[in-house]
Amino acid sequence: MEIKYTVQGLLIYATIIAYLSAFVTSLLRREKTGHILYLFGFAIAVFSFGYRWYHVRHVPLQNLFEVFLCLGMIYPVSLFCRRILRVGGYSADMLIGAIVLFPAGFVFNAEPQQLPPALQSWLFTPHVAVYMLSYIIMAKATFQAILQLAGKGPNPNENLLPPEQATYRIICIGFPLLTLGLVLGSYWGKKAWGDYWGWDPKELWSLASWLVYVGYFHFRYMFGKKHPRINSFWAVAGMAAIIITLLWVNLSRLFPGLHSYAT
Amino acid sequence: MNKFRRAVMWVALALIILLLFLSVYGAFIGAARAKGFISRLPLVVYWITFTLLLITALVMFRRLVRVPGLLLIHLGCVFILAGAMWSSETGHKLQKKLFGIDKITTGQMIIFEGHSDNCVILEDLKQIKKLPFSVELDDLKQIKQLPFSVELKDFQIEYYKTAYLHIQTRDGQGWRIPVEIDTEFPLGSEFGTVKILKTFENFKITIEGGSKKIIDDPQPGSNPALEVQITSPEGQVTTRYVFERFGGHTRPEDKFALSYRRVISDYISRLRIIKDNKVAAEKDIEVNHPLSFGGYHFYQHSYDAEAGQYTVLMVVSNTGLAVVYAGYWMLCIGVIWHLWLRHIVARIKLKNK
Repeated sequence: MEIKYTVQGLLIYATIIAYLSAFVTSLLRREKTGHILYLFGFAIAVFSFGYRWYHVRHVPLQNLFEVFLCLGMIYPVSLFCRRILRVGGYSADMLIGAIVLFPAGFVFNAEPQQLPPALQSWLFTPHVAVYMLSYIIMAKATFQAILQLAGKGPNPNENLLPPEQATYRIICIGFPLLTLGLVLGSYWGKKAWGDYWGWDPKELWSLASWLVYVGYFHFRYMFGKKHPRINSFWAVAGMAAIIITLLWVNLSRLFPGLHSYAT
Repeated sequence: MNKFRRAVMWVALALIILLLFLSVYGAFIGAARAKGFISRLPLVVYWITFTLLLITALVMFRRLVRVPGLLLIHLGCVFILAGAMWSSETGHKLQKKLFGIDKITTGQMIIFEGHSDNCVILEDLKQIKKLPFSVELDDLKQIKQLPFSVELKDFQIEYYKTAYLHIQTRDGQGWRIPVEIDTEFPLGSEFGTVKILKTFENFKITIEGGSKKIIDDPQPGSNPALEVQITSPEGQVTTRYVFERFGGHTRPEDKFALSYRRVISDYISRLRIIKDNKVAAEKDIEVNHPLSFGGYHFYQHSYDAEAGQYTVLMVVSNTGLAVVYAGYWMLCIGVIWHLWLRHIVARIKLKNK
């Protein structure tokens, strides 16, 4: 763990502080101030991402540092979930934002890298961006699933969906993105390596994550809301598979493969 | 849901969970072993069962046919599985038996600059311990010929403009210095400073008039190097040459090791396809930009790292690919329509009413 005494590092820390302040303020029932702080944190996160983009001269989605920097821009997702989907967890999103920025700020190496030939493709940005968006959406779904497992629900005055339904609705938004990420990755694999499916550990873990959500849909189709706890377990298992896909596969020596440049 | 339909659903769920566990198992055993594992007989049975189950579901569940999104998703999965089976090694063998189509599934070609070849080595060259150029092609059992030749006009490696001098001390401290001529870089009070004086594309030592002379040889060849000046904290100045290809050695009195690294930005093979003594196709292939010809795709796979004299191409049959891609399209359109668009359309319709 190291502190980054760079402009990039300071921007990340400022975002974390803004997100955490927004979270604490929201807990103290100062929603408006919390919202402003959250928006302010998001603005710094966008600037930080843009700064990195300018610095490395390519879309900064190459390694874990850049990917977590991108995940820190969670605000539009929480706004969309609240306004359009009527799903709660707005305050929790502030905490999620701070948590995902933590490894970028203190753990991962921020040294700029040049793009290897395999990553010089128009598919690089859509493939990674679509995955990141789906991951952050699935993280929100997991939070709702945990709420359901904990037996907690939204305030009746808030006109928000109960956690089980909220989980389903968010997964319905995230699943097409997960599918698109998988298919784009496969198409890119064919273009770059000659095979649309190389049985690489990262590919297999991402297939496993996709299959957990496929299982969730089939189980929910069979039983509906009869077994809400099992439905929630599927969602939590999906997130566990995503975390392994995103982190463990790249950080552990257990899974050497074609995606090692993402480390 | 009647009993039979419920049973189908349970089987589907069981197969999904089984595939999930197989994927996790495959991730632990590594890509090479996983590839072999999935083509074993029990797994072949699994893939066929899965495909048949999807078709059964389409027949049994009317909803899957009536709801366009669900139809596309499930049909897409059938296409992907069928295409993958058709394009596999076993699929190619089956095509040879049934229709007499004899195609190479996958292989590699080694082509030297200015030469053409039609021999495809079916073994993975990385598995062959000898150097590729010392391999007697006739000794390899697994060689097949293409009905046309591939000529390598030229092979080129491109580098990023920024190269780096890496400095590593004995206690693990390190620096990465961009190669900028005559810029002094301080390494702290313990190590002094370094300055890059000159870069070489083709470093050579010649002897002129009995004395050694270091030159950047304009003749063909490549030996990238740096001339580095090291100034110790005591003011003692030494000059060192750092080579990209040869790591060099450190002497006991050296406080740090130097290495010169350039980052490859692209590999380019300028290819020509010769069929019936005529040029049938021409393309500069790079990573992400393969050449397609005669039912095959040609990929930039590897190269001669020593002298850049030859390229290694990967040859892959395109059989079944269109079916897999059609499946991808159906799956994506189906999922997006079913989970996003139909709700948006319904909302718009409701608003208009």
